[in-house]
Amino acid sequence: MRFQDAARDARAIVYAGIQADPLVARAADLLADATLEQRVLARAVMNGESADPGTWRAMFPTLFGAGSGSEVSERARSEGILDASLAVADRGEQVRSQVRGALVEAVTSRLLARRAGAAVRRERRILFDGVPSEIHPYDVTVERPGSPEAYDCKWGARGINADVLHQLDDARLHAADEEERLAVALVVFDAARSCRVRLDRQTAPHVLTRLITLETLDDLAAGAAG
Amino acid sequence: MAAETVQNAIDRALDAYAGLTELGEAIDDEWSFVNDLSDAWRVHLDEVASSHGERPIAPEVSTAIDLAIDQIGLITDAHRAIDWLSTFPQVVLVALGETS
Repeated sequence: MRFQDAARDARAIVYAGIQADPLVARAADLLADATLEQRVLARAVMNGESADPGTWRAMFPTLFGAGSGSEVSERARSEGILDASLAVADRGEQVRSQVRGALVEAVTSRLLARRAGAAVRRERRILFDGVPSEIHPYDVTVERPGSPEAYDCKWGARGINADVLHQLDDARLHAADEEERLAVALVVFDAARSCRVRLDRQTAPHVLTRLITLETLDDLAAGAAG
Repeated sequence: MAAETVQNAIDRALDAYAGLTELGEAIDDEWSFVNDLSDAWRVHLDEVASSHGERPIAPEVSTAIDLAIDQIGLITDAHRAIDWLSTFPQVVLVALGETS
């Protein structure tokens, strides 16, 4: 089993531009340290409805209200998340969708890097002996000998589908055939309840695929995928 | 005038949520998911109301729920409605301080 950079096809080149957008980095830095409530704020704002920051501040009194009790640093982070999220929402529908996807990947890689450092890579394929390689790369990998990990990232529960579940589980099985233990996980910037509803409808294998949701994102920094 | 309670706020939120569900149902391929998702959140919000329904909420929390209801009332696109079917209940729970 070995890792390889994804092919630099047209899709990859366009998407690399999205990933390199400074707005993605700014939002990811903020969301990597955010509370659950701040992450829900980001998700709501980036869904793209009101462009008025005052409306969102009033909608999240626990983050912005006079009696919120938030520390100055937390209030500043909430403001930063609101500002960055409005900037994402302001993009056109298609670009916004790509930016949100890139953002989940960026948050995932930042949190993983806290325990795995330079072993964290983006957009990598995993090759196995005698197995045709997948066309689509894995969003984030942790490439440590003896304890490799592969992650796919989604903005919402609706992004969970048979293709992604098969790709993750197939990689795990192929690794096992080579007597490697590849931990696989799906990171979804959405509530666990919604993800479970989606997963319950899937027949593709996923019992050994770890699910990371809005509530458990910080676990990425604390332990291996599976 | 008596303060609004958690039960009142959740009742209002669920009324609005029913409209959002109806909009999301327009995507035929996602009809079952939309209804399962809606049911799951409705059950959870009902549980919160059962546990803390009589608790009065602060005026700013009432306002937050109003604004969240206003937001989903603006949605006309069925795909965006599905995004909000997951997000709206989370916003309501954050406003109510019921995320834990």
